Amino acid sequence: MSHWLIIPVVLPAMLAAILVLMVREHIVVQRALSMAGALALTAVAVGLFWQASDGTITLYQLGNWPAPFGIVLVADRLSTLMVLLTTLLAPLVLLYAMGSGWDARGRHFHPLFQFQLMGILGAFLTGDAFNLFVFFEVLLIASYGLMIHSGGRERLRAGTQYVLYNLLGSTLFLFALGTIYAQTGTLNMADLAGRVAELDASASGGIRVAAVLLLMVFAIKAAVLPLHFWLPDSYAHAPAPVAALFAIMTKVGAYGIIRFYTLVFPPDLEITQGLFDTWLLPAALLTLVLGMIGVLGARRIDRLIAFSVIGSMGLLLSAVSVFTPEGIAAALYYAIHSTFATAALFLLVDEIKDRRGAAGPFLVHGRPIEGGALIAGMFFVAAIAMTGLPPLSGFLGKLLILDAAGASPLVWWVWAVVLSGSLVAVVGFSRAGSLIFWKAHQDGPDGRVDCETAPEIEDETAQPGSTRGPIGPRPVLPMIAIGGLIALLIALTAFAGPVNRVLTATAAQLFAPAPYIELVLTTPGKQIKEDPHAAEGDHGVEGETETSHGDEAVDDTGEDH
Amino acid sequence: MGAKIQRHVWSPPSAFAIVRAMSLFIIVLLPFLGALLPGLMIRAGRQACFTATFLVSALAAVGLLTHLPAVLRGETVSARLDWMPGLGLNVNLFLDPLGFMFAALILGVGLLIIAYARHYLSRDDNMGEFFSYLLLFQGAMVGIVLSDNILLLLIFWELTSLSSFLLIGFWKHLPEGRQGARMALTVTGMGGLALIGGMLMLGQIVGSYDLSVILEQRDVVQASPLYVPALLLILLGCFTKSAQFPFHFWLPHAMAAPTPVSAYLHSATMVKAGLFLMARLWPVLSGTPEWVVIVSSAGLITMVLGAVIALFKHDLKALLAFSTVSHLGLITFLLGTGTAFGAMAAVFHILNHASFKAALFMTAGIVDHEAHTRDMRRLGGLRHLMPISFAIATLAALSMAGIPLLNGFLSKEMMLEEATHTTLFGSPMLVTVVATLGALFSTAYSFRLIAHTFFGPKRDDYPAHPHDPNPGMWLPPALLIIPVVGIGLFPALAEPFVKLVTGAVIGGAAEMPDAHLKIWHGLTLPLAMSAIAVIGGALLLAGFAPLSRIWEAARRPEAKHIFDRLIDLCVGGARRVARGLHDGAFTRYAAIMVLTVVAVGAHAWFSGATGTEIRRPLLPVTPIAVAAWAMLIAAAGFLIAAHRNRLAVLILMGIIGLMVSVGFNHFSAPDLALTQISVEVVTIILLLLALNFLPNRTPVESGAARRTRDAIIAGLGGVAATALTWTILSTEFPIAPISDYHLANSYKGGGGDNVVNVILVDFRGFDTFGEIIVLGIAALVIYALTEALLSGPVRRRLLNRGHEEPQAGDAHPLMMVVLTRVMMPVILMVGVYIFLRGHNSPGGGFVAGLVVAIAVVTQYMASGFAWAARRQRYPYHGIIGAGVLVAGLTGIGAWLAGQPFLTSAFGYFRIPPMEEFELATAMGFDLGVFLAVVGAVMLSLESFSRLGYRAGTETSDHAMDIDPSRGEELAPAVGAGKESN
Amino acid sequence: MELLIASAVGVLTAAGIYMVLRLRTFPVIIGTSLLSYAVNVFLFASGRLAMNAPPVLRDGATRYTDPLPQALVLTAIVISFGMTAVVVIMALGSWLSSDDDLVDRPAVSNGDARSPSMPEGDA
Repeated sequence: MSHWLIIPVVLPAMLAAILVLMVREHIVVQRALSMAGALALTAVAVGLFWQASDGTITLYQLGNWPAPFGIVLVADRLSTLMVLLTTLLAPLVLLYAMGSGWDARGRHFHPLFQFQLMGILGAFLTGDAFNLFVFFEVLLIASYGLMIHSGGRERLRAGTQYVLYNLLGSTLFLFALGTIYAQTGTLNMADLAGRVAELDASASGGIRVAAVLLLMVFAIKAAVLPLHFWLPDSYAHAPAPVAALFAIMTKVGAYGIIRFYTLVFPPDLEITQGLFDTWLLPAALLTLVLGMIGVLGARRIDRLIAFSVIGSMGLLLSAVSVFTPEGIAAALYYAIHSTFATAALFLLVDEIKDRRGAAGPFLVHGRPIEGGALIAGMFFVAAIAMTGLPPLSGFLGKLLILDAAGASPLVWWVWAVVLSGSLVAVVGFSRAGSLIFWKAHQDGPDGRVDCETAPEIEDETAQPGSTRGPIGPRPVLPMIAIGGLIALLIALTAFAGPVNRVLTATAAQLFAPAPYIELVLTTPGKQIKEDPHAAEGDHGVEGETETSHGDEAVDDTGEDH
Repeated sequence: MGAKIQRHVWSPPSAFAIVRAMSLFIIVLLPFLGALLPGLMIRAGRQACFTATFLVSALAAVGLLTHLPAVLRGETVSARLDWMPGLGLNVNLFLDPLGFMFAALILGVGLLIIAYARHYLSRDDNMGEFFSYLLLFQGAMVGIVLSDNILLLLIFWELTSLSSFLLIGFWKHLPEGRQGARMALTVTGMGGLALIGGMLMLGQIVGSYDLSVILEQRDVVQASPLYVPALLLILLGCFTKSAQFPFHFWLPHAMAAPTPVSAYLHSATMVKAGLFLMARLWPVLSGTPEWVVIVSSAGLITMVLGAVIALFKHDLKALLAFSTVSHLGLITFLLGTGTAFGAMAAVFHILNHASFKAALFMTAGIVDHEAHTRDMRRLGGLRHLMPISFAIATLAALSMAGIPLLNGFLSKEMMLEEATHTTLFGSPMLVTVVATLGALFSTAYSFRLIAHTFFGPKRDDYPAHPHDPNPGMWLPPALLIIPVVGIGLFPALAEPFVKLVTGAVIGGAAEMPDAHLKIWHGLTLPLAMSAIAVIGGALLLAGFAPLSRIWEAARRPEAKHIFDRLIDLCVGGARRVARGLHDGAFTRYAAIMVLTVVAVGAHAWFSGATGTEIRRPLLPVTPIAVAAWAMLIAAAGFLIAAHRNRLAVLILMGIIGLMVSVGFNHFSAPDLALTQISVEVVTIILLLLALNFLPNRTPVESGAARRTRDAIIAGLGGVAATALTWTILSTEFPIAPISDYHLANSYKGGGGDNVVNVILVDFRGFDTFGEIIVLGIAALVIYALTEALLSGPVRRRLLNRGHEEPQAGDAHPLMMVVLTRVMMPVILMVGVYIFLRGHNSPGGGFVAGLVVAIAVVTQYMASGFAWAARRQRYPYHGIIGAGVLVAGLTGIGAWLAGQPFLTSAFGYFRIPPMEEFELATAMGFDLGVFLAVVGAVMLSLESFSRLGYRAGTETSDHAMDIDPSRGEELAPAVGAGKESN
Repeated sequence: MELLIASAVGVLTAAGIYMVLRLRTFPVIIGTSLLSYAVNVFLFASGRLAMNAPPVLRDGATRYTDPLPQALVLTAIVISFGMTAVVVIMALGSWLSSDDDLVDRPAVSNGDARSPSMPEGDA
């Protein structure tokens, strides 16, 4: 019985508990443990990914209860891929948080970070719908804490809205789960797949509602129009490393959609025809458009990035909502890419904010950036990736998506929106970039911001006046972290071929869920030993549970003892 | 799709060819790798930096030359490397005469430019940066002309846009530079994206992205319905890149770049990329009426327009820029005619133009460099001051004017020849006339360039004292003059190569024309036309002054302004939309969310089939239920009505919570009832503490309209919820729920009669694990935030905030203190009891935790924060951490038994005389829950009170304010209300 | 009876939504907890109703309220309690640090109300 599968959940949880219990006053120890934990997770994730890379699906029955009665974790290609993605991102973000001193600007950064990881990883691994809800809540509440880490007026206000909006989302999630349980009597995803398929098509109303309610829940997480409103402010105001970590959170929503709408509600399922397959793609395209509008219209660099996140989610989901293996594979490739690109950009923006003094994040004429060359270079590369210009992964992902869109009746729409969208992105990013990095060199009147209008979140570490490069007084760790992310992007580009092969296999596995379902439902759980007490009557309910119905199923269960 | 077709149109790569092919990669890679060098070498000085750059290009050029023999033999060298075979995007390179010509141009001119730039750049320009960008561009350019895979070509294509963006904006301090750079990027970027679309379509038609395959499929492509859209998109890409009308406007603004860049990118190479692509795809795309009409007319218009504008530009570089536009138009027109002869003329003119135009740009740069101005109105009479530059410029300009014995003449003759054979829009004469007009103007501006710069009287008001520069600057242009004259005198020399390249262009699509490159074709119509052009040009120049005045007077649309206006409009609009939608109005966000969910849900419901569900017998209505229901409805109604009075709201919330728990109990769910009620209490306490800081009333803000709107939305939500609940309650499970199993195995498998509890701690213990972690996190977040607040500016505000309402006389009333002291142990006992019985009857760790927490809270309430805090031994952090640890370790314990996480075991023990009792590992887990809950609840409540406490309001250290044991001293009750709401 | 429950859920939901759409944080929070009441009852109802059924396993008992939804509701209650606590302190924080408890953020804070020279004011 190997327990690797549970490690990604248990390790961060235990670690966080220890951090709180023992070393909450010693930042150094916290940093050491936290980083060690993150790296360990990466190692485990690599192991799991490798294990799943030949198509094996691994099952972990918690409490040794057989599915669907207990909760199971399932590691197939998709889950392990997302886990790996998360654990590749986490150490770099953590590195940045330490290097920039963000983690010391408030209490409990590291425990919250670990809990956040636990939530995300659990959400990717669990095979149970309600358990997914629990992990959503874990990652959400941890994200609330991280979001308002170190306080600040703006951040608190934005944070409050973020929490309230997600509270509504959680409520919706519960409504969805209730409906699902009421319609199918189960919560296990694999079991759901089986039961939904059996449902009588002439009474499809309930299950259809359940399907779309659940989709709405994931759409909120994935920031699909018109449920994206929570994103811009919270991402723009979150501490940089947190915003970078959030890059994976939108992907959780995308994961949910991919998982549920290939496994439980597959596109060819008759009972849910004419639902998401009708309006998900248009919604995704609108999201892309809106994101690009925001990029063009933003007056703050951090909001610009936030909107580009919305745009990238739109692009990603327009690939998903084609619901073909090619589409999913393309979406996954783009998901990996946009996670790293977004994270890199948010971290860069933080560095830029610090170095621009009063101008902060505002797209106005500020002072030249210290050590501009390095930062400008990295921003240029990251921006190329984000806007999907060649030669980086953004472009390859876009090509994949355009190629996959061929299967959709809306193919021309997809092409038009995606291509013109990237043009807008190019304009937006080039305006911002040239303003921040070039115009600063212009002599003459600089419309710099007067300090009281500049929000207080800025300038916590900026040392105005110091004009030495980042290698000077500035910590080098942040640069390494950002460099690492960019390196990942380049690697993703260079090894696009192999990666794409893996993703194609992943998508293929999603579209042939039979082995998944079979493994989950047929693996025996703990043997119920005969009445441990006295040997009165047998509680042989095996087989009966399948047949019997709520009312009589239990007639023989209550013995006295 | 593509890339499966490995079969090759040209020679099968023999081992020999493979060796060569390897170096194709190297040729492309060299500049990219080399781009790193200058940045480093600059530390070793400018000379080192220059040498490194020069060597890199030279090496690449040599690598290219090694292929010359093969190319001359008509072989095609190729190199293939899989990148994304799944997509059909592979690093496939091939070198044919066309590619060779362009690659040679790029690298050859590149060498000269690098040498020239070495002396052109001033000391305060960052040479390392400049050369890095230049090599980057060079690599991208070579990549374009060597690509066999059109997706790969796209990548290089966009790379040239990006690197030119960097090069144009090289002088960061110049607004013109920045704007020119962005304009170039926007326009060419747009073209690039269009090109992506076009290329993808082309690939979809042919089923492969490999040029070598595509070029064979002329008929397939031209028959396809996608042909026209693909053609349009591809041409959009080519026209933007090659500055063809109506996209010609970006090129002159790109001239803000340092002269070497203008000479290299914007005359010799990048702007030719569009031409290259048209030539490259000539075999598949050309020949159709669409092609002829669009391409040749665009070319003609550009040719004339560019020439006319060029004539009236006073800035040398601007003049050259527009003349470049005009010549590109000329070549486009030639390609557009779709005849083999046209293709041949185009190829020939590409060569010639590159030579004389680059030379002209460099001399313009020299003049600028020496005279410190490029304005022809301030120049003139330089022929004595700068004889060498004068000679170079004159030869080049005359060639551009198409004067015999220079190479420009030959290709222009061929163009005119072609023009006479071309019919557009039904009229055979149109093209002839327009072409002559274009030629006429181009002679005019060429003459003007010479006359107004070098002839005329020597002036004494040059901004600087002009003289010939050092050879480093004039040698490169001088070298370029050699082919200008050489080919001009002995065209036959160039013929074989030109034909070779032409062959590559037309591929199998047409017959090689038997025409020959000659100076003298006899007295032909073209000769007459160029005679007209030369004379007319001279006349135009003679009458330049008045013409110029008219031109200046005339109102012309300024492309840049239009472009800027357009961009600003878009930005403004985008700003309004983004801002209008995301103005932070949470209430609107929420409203939209509710409406969306309801709408989508309704759509799903009504588009589905219903009615055949198994109906469920309804339960009889009991009076108690009705009573509870009525109370709940009433409470909710009052709450809405009186929601501005926040205390009242809390009371009503309490009632609602109570009713809910009554309901749970009524429907045989005592666990729920218990939990609900205890959570209720704690929540209310929490909100009370909060309310102690928040204002007590909600002001009236929203008008009636707004309230009606909200009411309608709320109503919709309510109706939807009712409908959904009703549907569920009135119908039967379609399939037996899994909970039957839980009922059946709770006792045998989980060792508990309380199925709910067994589910919580055993069947679905993992959920509970997550749940207590959520609780713990909540406490941590609250604590962290409190810290942040208390250390921040908030502290001050807390200190000097007044009290809204009078405080109670004695904040810690005697009775209450005594009562709570007495109750404390009782409540604790209850807590323990509830905990222990949890497994077999309603109760459990969670409820127990809450009860104990409440017990402690009452102490706070009774005796104030300070008193209680001092008597609290363990930090709540610890308790939470311990809770999570205990729960986790109980789970991990199962590993020792080789069981999965959270596997439970239980047994029954008997210790006489006590009666038999049960121990289950699940209880350990439940203990964890208990601890986490206590810790979490207490930590949050504590944090809340700390806000008040730390705020400096002194609180009593005594248990109670009136204490018999003490004298009559009254503890100051000021603000003690903080803790005792 | 079922109708009572259904309507109760509906009323709670409606009241919750209405409160959520108010302008100040306090009523909005109240709204969210009203919604959580509603959803808890709904979740409980998803197991269908049963009256006078034994709370724990009893001999010969033939009818139980579906225990699984109860467990889910318990989890949900706890979680929503945690969430409420967090949002309350956050609302408190933003009230204390900025002088109002409006839930809508003034547009000024997202940098849009400021009118910096158009990024390309440098024509």
